[in-house]
Amino acid sequence: MTELLDHLVFGLAVAVSPTNVFLCLAGCFLGTLIGVLPGIGSIATISMLLPLTYSLDPVGSLIMLAGIYYGAQYGGSTASILVNVPGEATAIITAIDGHQMARQGRAGAALGISAIGSFIAGTIATVFIAALAIPLTRVALEFGPADYFSLLLLGVLASALLNRGAVSKSIAMILLGMLLATVGMDLETAAPRLTLGYPQLMEQIPFAVLAMGAFGLAELGRSLETPENRDVISKQIGGLLPSLSELRQSVAPILRGTALGGLLGVLPGNGALLGPVASYGVEKHLAKEPQRFGRGAIEGVAGPESANNAAAQTSFIPLLTLGVPANAVMALMLGAMTMNGIVAGPQVIERSPEFFWGMIASMWIGNLMLLVINLPMIGIWVKLLKVPFRILMPSIVVFCAIGAYSMRNEPFDVALAGFFAIGGYVLIKLGFEPTPLLLGFVIGDMMEEKFRQALIMSRGSLAIFVEQPISAGLLAVTLALLSVLLLPRVRRKRDEVIVE
Amino acid sequence: MRPALRHIVLTAGAVAIAATAAFAQSADTYPSAPIKLVLPLGAGGATDNLARISSGPVETKFGQPIVIENRPGAGGSLASAVVAQSEPNGQTLLFANFATHAVTPTLFTNLSYDPVKDFKPVTLIASQPHFVLVNPDLGINTLAELIDYAKKNPGKLNFASAGVGSPLHLAAEYFKIKAGVDLVHVPYKSSAPALLDLIAGRVQVFFDNVSTALPHVQAGKLKALAITSSKRSPLAPEIPTVAEAGLQDFETYGWWGVAAPAKTPPAVIAKLNAAYVEALKSPEVSTKLASQGYDVIASTPEEFEAYIGREIAKWAPVIKAANLSPTN
Repeated sequence: MTELLDHLVFGLAVAVSPTNVFLCLAGCFLGTLIGVLPGIGSIATISMLLPLTYSLDPVGSLIMLAGIYYGAQYGGSTASILVNVPGEATAIITAIDGHQMARQGRAGAALGISAIGSFIAGTIATVFIAALAIPLTRVALEFGPADYFSLLLLGVLASALLNRGAVSKSIAMILLGMLLATVGMDLETAAPRLTLGYPQLMEQIPFAVLAMGAFGLAELGRSLETPENRDVISKQIGGLLPSLSELRQSVAPILRGTALGGLLGVLPGNGALLGPVASYGVEKHLAKEPQRFGRGAIEGVAGPESANNAAAQTSFIPLLTLGVPANAVMALMLGAMTMNGIVAGPQVIERSPEFFWGMIASMWIGNLMLLVINLPMIGIWVKLLKVPFRILMPSIVVFCAIGAYSMRNEPFDVALAGFFAIGGYVLIKLGFEPTPLLLGFVIGDMMEEKFRQALIMSRGSLAIFVEQPISAGLLAVTLALLSVLLLPRVRRKRDEVIVE
Repeated sequence: MRPALRHIVLTAGAVAIAATAAFAQSADTYPSAPIKLVLPLGAGGATDNLARISSGPVETKFGQPIVIENRPGAGGSLASAVVAQSEPNGQTLLFANFATHAVTPTLFTNLSYDPVKDFKPVTLIASQPHFVLVNPDLGINTLAELIDYAKKNPGKLNFASAGVGSPLHLAAEYFKIKAGVDLVHVPYKSSAPALLDLIAGRVQVFFDNVSTALPHVQAGKLKALAITSSKRSPLAPEIPTVAEAGLQDFETYGWWGVAAPAKTPPAVIAKLNAAYVEALKSPEVSTKLASQGYDVIASTPEEFEAYIGREIAKWAPVIKAANLSPTN
């Protein structure tokens, strides 16, 4: 324990040098600003700002990049809450209740709880990493393709349940999302699937394009048809911070979200997405009145946002201790580390202790910065909602178009976002929610890859999914959940509660 | 003037102006504006970094910025199409690589451009060999042992790949042919999860870039049996080449170069080549690239053109043997 404290103090000493604090602040600030723009997520932000770090010393530049990463994550949640455009997969869940809160004039409370929850989660996750980074590396290595598949299957089930509306419609949307995820070159044979002859579809449909279209732009369409509806956003705006009772409501969800997100975040790939999904599912299940979820329940923002941030922290573990980046942002950071002569990987702690511990300490400082920057900024964000709809609406459309174009400099992607906007609008009109569609898209993509890898490794035997202990355990949990849901009495009650 | 006639006259006028403009862009004044370098991959990755490092001194020399435009997707064919169809004046260039010029000509049969004839190579910038990596728990210590084990246990070992049709994938497929062994392909979308499963022992063999794999080899988590180049790497001089380890006539590299639209004036190509070669030979650039695992090449346009021809011929049978479907 004293050793841990020594390490943290050593790290803090590195991280609190005036230059590094400034870089951390600048990173968080830039990240937040750019992350708020629809479609420009942390990957785009970091790659845009990467050249800025070339002239800095290695520790400083990595601290700044990490700051941009947290900042963009937080900015993405802000966009989710304010305009219902999740910039990244991890912010999908925040949009469900966060945007509802904004429509009810509680945007300040939603943004506030998001910042506070993130800070608490970040603080706990920092200590967690410092203490357990090395043993947790084992967890990342233990998870094989079969285990991932079973975990994702559980994720699918959770996604089907966290939606308001009929379960059958959720499942239909998840399947549609999974179908959309299969567009592009086949993993193994490079054969084009469902590309309709467009070379632009040979790669995957970009997540942000689908999210902007089916979420943000489709939502604008719905607002357009009901004049009174759109004014709700700009009419009354409540307090800028969550009230005491809201804070009290959020404490337990924040802690539970931190635990779930922190654990799932260790898994490379998109373990980070499952944290918020799991947190939302748990909160909804534990809530006394689950029908409030999807209608602006603060727990539905507090839990997933904490999970999201805890996962963002712990996803550094495989990068720092194994030299294996957990996601695209980490890959960029690994590139930056290499460029700066820091050899990421197993020996990083011995070879560059000031880097390792400085980085971990800067995570906490970064979280503190986010809180310091964002609490005062909530007032500005909320004012944004006072902008008349006739100005706000075209601005969102323009920013979405810029975001869609800028990812690959591809005009086709703008048209694609438009296509998904029309499709998403039709689905909303028919009573289908876009949330499970997006979750199905993200999960389905990973699921197919892991399923095929597992089956190739087992030479085609499905038994691999029950022979691997982790996978078997996860499948058992999935089955147990499913059977509870299929009990007719429970289901009837649930549908009554949710559909009303 | 009748509309049709007026149309002809206007068109002729426009053509004349365009022609003058084209001639005005002579090698003496080139480049007269910022140069656009189109990348077939996304921002922030290793290729992006390589393009920026090697183009830096060229910008200084020309006094014009080189603007990097990332157009990832479809095996580099989106980026290639943009450059192939741009004006051949040296203002738009392609950052060519293994995907755009060694694989695409075979893999993609229905492109809107010709991946060979529509380009004029400028210079081959650098290449990077691969390590033949195995999980240490396998108990295999040399390339000969690996081949021997795989021959005795056909279809037992798994090899990982990162990206279908990528150098990391095709190098292993090429190895199967050259060594006459049967390994089972487990495809991954990127290198990181493949490395994890290799470290954990779920896949046993992986051909990965020297720069990515080296830290794991140094930490003892992975064993590098050989390097797929003709010379040992200064970064890991203890690792033998494939030929030294007993497998002759087997070399694989990821590689990167600059190419211009086919009709770019030869004088412009020569000027560009000279600038890039000078940049690559500068100690600053060459040491930086060498420390990241690259072999700096800096070839002439003719050498690059011949290299592309050899690469296409080398990989076409491998792509066919790997059962990759001709796409789109």
